[in-house]
Amino acid sequence: MTEKKGHFDEDLDLRISPKLSEDLNTLFEPQFSVPPELDRAIMDQANRCLVQRHWRHRVFRHISIWRIAAAAAVIILAFSLNLTQKPGPTTTSSFIVEAQAVDIDRNGRVDILDAFKLARHIESADRSKTNLSPVSSTGQALRKQGWDINGDGVVNRKDVDLVALAAVRLDKNKGVL
Amino acid sequence: MDSDQELIELVNQGDADAFEALYRRYRDWVYSLAWRFTGNQQDALDVLQETFTYLLGKCYSAKYSATKHEFPGFSLTASMTTFLYPVVRHISLTIRSKSRRFTSDEEILSEIAAPVSKETQSSRSELAAVLAVLPDEQREVLLMRFVDDMTLQDIATALNIPVGTVKSRLHHALQRLRHDRRTRDYFLE
Repeated sequence: MTEKKGHFDEDLDLRISPKLSEDLNTLFEPQFSVPPELDRAIMDQANRCLVQRHWRHRVFRHISIWRIAAAAAVIILAFSLNLTQKPGPTTTSSFIVEAQAVDIDRNGRVDILDAFKLARHIESADRSKTNLSPVSSTGQALRKQGWDINGDGVVNRKDVDLVALAAVRLDKNKGVL
Repeated sequence: MDSDQELIELVNQGDADAFEALYRRYRDWVYSLAWRFTGNQQDALDVLQETFTYLLGKCYSAKYSATKHEFPGFSLTASMTTFLYPVVRHISLTIRSKSRRFTSDEEILSEIAAPVSKETQSSRSELAAVLAVLPDEQREVLLMRFVDDMTLQDIATALNIPVGTVKSRLHHALQRLRHDRRTRDYFLE
């Protein structure tokens, strides 16, 4: 606010006398000064806002850093799980994990042939119209073989499905579950 | 002494001392301008507080820049008075329109122009009387130039009008003062 008036010297028409300048300033000078309480209120408000801003800045900065770090950690974790671990058991496969007897033909491997074998057993039992319910003798025999995979008391297509599922999901290199 | 721009940058970084320095530098000017617009001490103080709250908000509420990982803050692209003038003017007019304490510019100037005994006061009151009948836009430019000490360019920027218009308004205002018998003495060599 202190450069100024010089360039007005170029335009004589727009110059005023020092007396007029002084009187104008006197006329428009406020009659009262700013009370110190208001100064304090404004500065208190500024302090609060600027401290808040400072923290907001730091928090946002940290959030950005943590976002990147978290994303990197998730990627690394995903890769390491993929490479070192097999998939965790699901609700359905928990039956398979518990049922060591899915190796129907006892050849040391669980494959689709086990599912076929169990299916054939059930089919032949059906053909002879034998009841495979828990109380029937054929049903009890099948259960004694440990082929009631899901443990519902009946050996049927649901058990075949579970063996088939196990055959598909098993790590062939490791043989039986 | 730090420049206004340097102080603003410090405030952007959260420096309360820099804000206080800016406040001390412009407090009286803002208050004086607000008093001129509102004609009332209490309203002028309200305007003063709101103006600096606004400035603080400009520095505080700037959006976070995800690319730079910072709040860029407020950037001062003109002089501080050029930035503050329209802010003070707007807040003053808003407060004035809501306030029952409102006294018009003409009333303020009429009060100043009331007959007084001393010679100096008499000439000032006559000056006030002439100013009171000037068109608002001419009086505003005259006061911005000679009371607020703003350059023609700053006035043009603050009022968002061409520099030529500023010159024209100033010229007409001074012509009125020059040709009025009550104020012509100010122009005698």
